Amino acid sequence: MKQEAFQARHGAEWTRFEHWLDARQARQRQQRAQADTIMAASEFPSALRRLCQQLAVAERRDYSTQLVADLRGLAQRGHQVLYRPRPPRLRLLFDFLAAGFPRLVRAQGACMAAAAALFFVPLIAVAILLQWHPELIHSLFDSRQLAQFENMYNPLHHADRLGRDGGADLQMFGVYVFNNVSIGFRTFASGLLAGVGAVFVLVFNGIIIGGVAGHLTAIGYGGPFWDFVAGHSAPELLAIVIAGGAGLHIGMALLAPGRRSRARALAEAGVDGAKLVLGVFAMLVLAAFIEAYWSSIVWLPSTLKHAVGLALWSLLLLWLWRGGRSPAPMHADGGADASG
Amino acid sequence: MIDTLAVVETPEGIALQLRSAGALPRACAWALDFMIRFAAAFIAATALGALGASGIGLYLLVLFALWWLYPVLFEVLRDGQTPGKRVMRLRVVNANGTPVTWLASIVRNLLRVVDMMPLCYGFGLVASLTDRQGRRIGDLVARTLVVYAGAPLRAGALPPTPALVAPLALRPAERAAIIEFAERSAQLTPERQQELAGLLGQLTQAQGTVAVQRLHGMATAYVGRA
Repeated sequence: MKQEAFQARHGAEWTRFEHWLDARQARQRQQRAQADTIMAASEFPSALRRLCQQLAVAERRDYSTQLVADLRGLAQRGHQVLYRPRPPRLRLLFDFLAAGFPRLVRAQGACMAAAAALFFVPLIAVAILLQWHPELIHSLFDSRQLAQFENMYNPLHHADRLGRDGGADLQMFGVYVFNNVSIGFRTFASGLLAGVGAVFVLVFNGIIIGGVAGHLTAIGYGGPFWDFVAGHSAPELLAIVIAGGAGLHIGMALLAPGRRSRARALAEAGVDGAKLVLGVFAMLVLAAFIEAYWSSIVWLPSTLKHAVGLALWSLLLLWLWRGGRSPAPMHADGGADASG
Repeated sequence: MIDTLAVVETPEGIALQLRSAGALPRACAWALDFMIRFAAAFIAATALGALGASGIGLYLLVLFALWWLYPVLFEVLRDGQTPGKRVMRLRVVNANGTPVTWLASIVRNLLRVVDMMPLCYGFGLVASLTDRQGRRIGDLVARTLVVYAGAPLRAGALPPTPALVAPLALRPAERAAIIEFAERSAQLTPERQQELAGLLGQLTQAQGTVAVQRLHGMATAYVGRA
């Protein structure tokens, strides 16, 4: 068949296909609604297959490159529509947080354990060391920073909010989200530098947090300090550890890809990392909310705050340990795909 | 390094052609996005500044969204295009030519952190200059490409010339070349048309405008028009 006859036979179909794509991508809702009058959405896959077949024929018969380029352009646009990602569904996101995320954390147990060690060992070591050698705190902070911490948690100093130099709850929520979530994201991403970035963030934060906790406890300001941190410590510290673990995982994919190619190992670690970061994001927003609206309340009894903090630690650890192990069929994999 | 065309075969059995974009248009797109985000942050600061301390909190939430969520949401929900990429006619796609997915977009945008190191997208620039398809580190890990989204060239109509049977039998590729010459004539100057047609003296057995006319006539015959 000559090109002209081919075009005459199928031209109307191509025009219709193009109009449908145009209407679908139109800015106005009215125009988008017209797409159905041009072609039913259910006809689209077979229309695309037909177009692809015509493109292959046109290429095979050496029709002009202009015609082939036109058809290829249409086929590529159709391809973009057919293979577009599904809109995220809330149900699958919940399934992911309930089951897929803890499963993924356990699947990377080695990296998570290493991250936890890199974070908690310096934290606890520094905090204990400061009980015996309180003067060492001066090598961590200068005196102005120390004065600021001491001022915030002075038991004799009756502030109306704990853990801050003033500021409204919503303001502090914004500060905590902006700072902590950004740190969580950066911890993961910097792990790509052979894990160095993640190791640095984990150890550095472990030392700083251990330093503040140890110092305030050593000088007798521990009461208000532990009241403040009890509530949000579980989601916040665990989230940083998981972000660090995801960073170590991607760093290891670069350093030791094993039997996979390095590109493939990185791509797989990247997908896992993105899923983990979604969970880290949820945990850190929860932590920021608790920190801004619950931890800062002054008049609540210490025992209640400590009990809530302990409960949160137990619940979160239980979630990470048992989540997604239920024998009931879960949609964790689908959930992970759709949420991500 | 010179040809940035990536060919991907689809399940339908056709070859998608993805023309990946280099560092410069992408940097322009980023700069446009940056200006848009900066303007949005400025407007938010002015509007929320009136609300006092709570306004600062809301402002920081807006800033967080502009920094981390803006690229992901636009890329996934707007056909792989942030406003800056739309202006520059760029599009983010998965390496297999399908629209970018949520996870891939999250990965490539999180890893901007690494691409931005040590400063001014240094690592990203080195990566995109060494990679054949101009990918930065985030693209390599997420398996995404930034490609040109430009509309394909429209087929020009053949010049209205009466059909003319060629004196020689030509191979398919040669026939296709003559059809293309006729379709593209509108984009060429008359002098250039004559120069090109002059190369085929054996076929046209003429020079100048007559040669061009004869080639157009053969093209008309080859596409099957009477």
